[in-house]
Formats: sequence, structure tokens, C-alpha cells
Amino acid sequence: MNVVIIGNSAAGLSGLEAFRKQDQTSLVTLIAKEDQRPYSKVLLPYYLRGKVPYDHLFIRDKDYFNRLKVNCVKGTVIKLLVDQQCVQLDGGTLLPYDKLLIASGSSPVKPPIPGLSGEGIHHLWTLEDVRQLKTHFIKGKRVAVLGSGFVSLQGACAALSQGLTVSVIELVERIMMRALDEQGADILAEQMKSKGVDLRVNTLTTRIDKAEEQRYLLHFKDGGHLESDFIIVGTGVRPNIDFLEGTGVKVDAGILVNEQMESSQPGIYAAGDVAQVPSFNGGRPVVHALWPTAVETGIIAGACMASGNNRYKGSLNMNVTQMFDLTVASMGEFIGDDGCESWIDKSLPDQQYLKIVLKDDVPIGATCVGSADLAATLGMLRPLIRGKVRLSGKPETLKSIMAQNISQHHQAFVK
Amino acid sequence: MRFITMDITKCVVCRNCEYACAFRQTGDFNRDDSNIRVEYHDDVKICLPQTCMHCDDAWCLEICPAAAIYRNESTGAIEIISDRCAGCKMCILACPFGNIHFDKINLVSRKCNLCQGEPNCVSFCISGALQYTTDQNSYQNNREIFQRFIENLSSVNH
Repeated sequence: MNVVIIGNSAAGLSGLEAFRKQDQTSLVTLIAKEDQRPYSKVLLPYYLRGKVPYDHLFIRDKDYFNRLKVNCVKGTVIKLLVDQQCVQLDGGTLLPYDKLLIASGSSPVKPPIPGLSGEGIHHLWTLEDVRQLKTHFIKGKRVAVLGSGFVSLQGACAALSQGLTVSVIELVERIMMRALDEQGADILAEQMKSKGVDLRVNTLTTRIDKAEEQRYLLHFKDGGHLESDFIIVGTGVRPNIDFLEGTGVKVDAGILVNEQMESSQPGIYAAGDVAQVPSFNGGRPVVHALWPTAVETGIIAGACMASGNNRYKGSLNMNVTQMFDLTVASMGEFIGDDGCESWIDKSLPDQQYLKIVLKDDVPIGATCVGSADLAATLGMLRPLIRGKVRLSGKPETLKSIMAQNISQHHQAFVK
Repeated sequence: MRFITMDITKCVVCRNCEYACAFRQTGDFNRDDSNIRVEYHDDVKICLPQTCMHCDDAWCLEICPAAAIYRNESTGAIEIISDRCAGCKMCILACPFGNIHFDKINLVSRKCNLCQGEPNCVSFCISGALQYTTDQNSYQNNREIFQRFIENLSSVNH
């Protein structure tokens, strides 16, 4: 069998490894758009912060592809020829496949603000982005960060740690709209402000003027403005599916796949940011631009390509990060709409926040801001959320309930 | 491969294991630095010593975005390479047992590494609750055990 994998980030790598675990003989070609040596996008902000050295960004060694007997090709896929079962690279090369894994990821999008283009405008998404950003990360420089999701705030945190003057500009009424709930966001916002971040919510940027070399003037709808030396844009990402136009592979926001990560076209699989996958709660298929989901779906895709013996139990959004001296994390449906019960741990001190959302006594989501221990609680909750386990009893006794049951099944008893 | 087994019927919550582990890691006796934690639930009278189970299919290893977690071939332990750890905490979020903790000073995640094959907690356990054993049955697929635990969770009466 001839296998082609597009992409060498989380989904491409985990897909490759899952495939090779079962099949060591089929021919495998992997197409990498950027550096052939795989690196971790998650680590990029930690590099900018000075926590991780540059060569630790690479998460596979130089011998990796040889060891797994993979032919790694540098190139961009510009066309998928479904009937001929091959992909076309820029430069013209045609690569035939029997099975194809599309793990082409996603790319940052820019809001339609006049003037938001050119040299001083950066994303924080690729190795090349941070190579450029690093040259701007000089103490005393001013940076304007557009957006307040995980990536933007990581960028802001890194800039602050290097002594830059940081402004975060958010369009809606609070930060981390998709990653935290209101209370959690408030705690994080207060912490950011106390550390000197100029945080502006409810702020619409109407225009950006380039005053001179490396000097920008942002204009806001409320009449205010801000001078900045460079700008980081983190306002969302979009799956890389343009090359699929006209191929008949069904797409929505991303490539639609079933529980085996197979697309509408037999033999073509998708995983990672590019894939729109079944959700664990049976709702609409979703695109998560999240590392854990990319790893999970890559494993399912790789295993299914080898033997079809795996089934995805649906994605559960989960993410965590360390920023501004706080751990922030969330999973599942953590907002808590009508019909749901929210339990907030009132025993926690100020600046520590944990909320579990339940529906009919079944936990469906959770979020926390504060110490890392809270993230561990979310970790223990995850199997309960996935297993749709009904918690008979008050959430305050959650830890006791879990202890009681874990004790019944602890390995000490398995003789 | 040898593993640490925990007999919760023998544990008396003396916490020697926590102090022994903290001492081995840091030379001091701060329980926050321990990789083994003993929970005591007074309401249901359960003593629960918990340390990394070095799972066959470790979720922490799978998810680490820094490739900082690996299995030590000689001890069988799942280990975090502190030098490569970025402190992102995804492993903490991934562990279904809550067995990984965060070092707030060095900003890295920490977990049991079986002390290179001579676990200190086992040496200092006064009740014999902790054993370092080759009993294969004790460790056959921890996820399976956890799955059963999940399935039975809602049938608890208290």
C-alpha cells in the first residue's frame, strides 16, 4: 500500500506513528510545508518567553523519518486529483496514493481592518513567525496584540516577560471568549492588568496607519488611538482546505469525517485542525484548533488507515496553559447554559476558580483559573465527562466519590 | 518490570512516603514536592495513596507537546525530562488520576520516576502498603481498571 500524509505537526506525526505501529512495510511519504524537522506550535510562545531554547522546539530527532522508513518531502500541496489518486505539489511533482491522510492544519486569519498588512504585522503561528517576532522582542518596545484567545494572550505574556510595553485589544466585552467563562476571564484580566498589561475590551479597531518605519497608529471606534512599534494578530484560524476545491471531498468549516476519520471520499482521511470531527456529545461536528484533539484524531486516522480497527469516541475540547502566573484551563461545555447546573468550588481562596457544569447530574464541562492543582481536577473529571457518568451526590463530595470508587478498582485489588 | 503497588487497606496515612519522596527529590521535606500523595477522606473513611501508575498507554506521554515525556527502558517508568518541559501543563490535564503536579518555582511538571529503580516511598512505608513488585497482574492495563471504575462510579451509595 502506498500512503501519503500531508502535514508534520501533531496530527500528521501521531497519524504516522499510529500507522507504523501496525504497518511497517507499506510505503509512506510525508509532505511537510515548512521545516522538514517537526516542531511544536504549542512551544512557540514558551520560546518567546525565554523558557524553552530554540533547538528544543524540534520534537523529533534528525533520524526520525529514516527510523520510521518515511520519505519526507518538502512542498506545498496545491491540488488533490481524486480520480487519479494523487496529490500535486507546487513545483509540479505528482505523488500517488492508495490512502491519503490530510493533516494540513489551519492558518491564521486577519480581521478586515484597513492597514492591517505589511512588515510590522505578525501572527504567532509558525516557526518563521517567532523567528521574526524574536527580533522585535526588545525591552521597551511597544506591541499591540489584536485578539484575546489562547495564542494572543500567550504572545502578550511573552512580550511582557521580555520587558515590552503590551496592549491587548479585544473586540468583545471580555477576554478568552471561547476558552474561559466570565468569572475565570475576570480573574485573568485583573491579573494581567496588575502586571501592567494595557487591556482594552469592547474596542473595535477601525484603521491602522503606518506612521513611519516600524511605527503604527491604531484608530479605535470610540475615538481613541494607540501607538505601537509592531502588532501581533491572533484573531482565529481557518482550516487549510483550499486545495480541495472542486474535488468533491465534503467540507464545511473543515473536512467532514466520520468516526474513523475518513472523509466522504473512501481512502482519504483527515485529522487535526483541518478536520471537522464528530463531537463527543453527539452534537454538530466541530473543528478544534487544539493540540490534544489533533493528537487524538491523528491516532485514530493512522490506526484506521492501517487496519480500520479503531473508532473515535468524539472530540472533547480541552486546553490548558500557563500564563501571567496562572493556570487557565477548560474542557467540554463549560459555560453552563439553561438546563445546566453549575457548581463553583466556594472553598477556594480569591483568585482561584473552579467550576463544573452538570446536566441531569452528568458533568459536561469544567473550567479553572488559578493553581495547577485545579487542572489536575479537570484531568480527573475528563473520563467522567467522556463516560457520561451520573454523579449521585453533591459535587462537593466529588473527590470522595472518586476516591471511593477508585479504591474499589485500584490495582492493589486486582490479584 | 517492577511497579509500586498500593494496598489501601494497609495505609495508615502516616505520610512517610510523601516525606521520603520529597526528600529524595529536593533534600527537604516539603510535601508539595512529593510525587506520591495520600488522600484521606474522613467522610467515607478511605486512605488513598496515589502515585503514577506508569500506564501502558500513558496519556501524558501521548499528549506532551514538547516530547518531554518518555518511557525509561530499564525501569519501565514514564519520566518527564525537566530540561525539555515547557511547563504547559497538558500532562496534568491529561492524567485521569491526577498524578502529575506542578513545580511552581522551576515552572515544570513533575511526576514519579520510580527513583531510578529504588523507590524511596516504598523503603519508608511503615505498614507495607507500598510494595515494589514484579506482580504483572497488578499492572495489566491500568486503563481497563479505570474503565471499570468509571462504569461503577454512578452506582455508589453514600
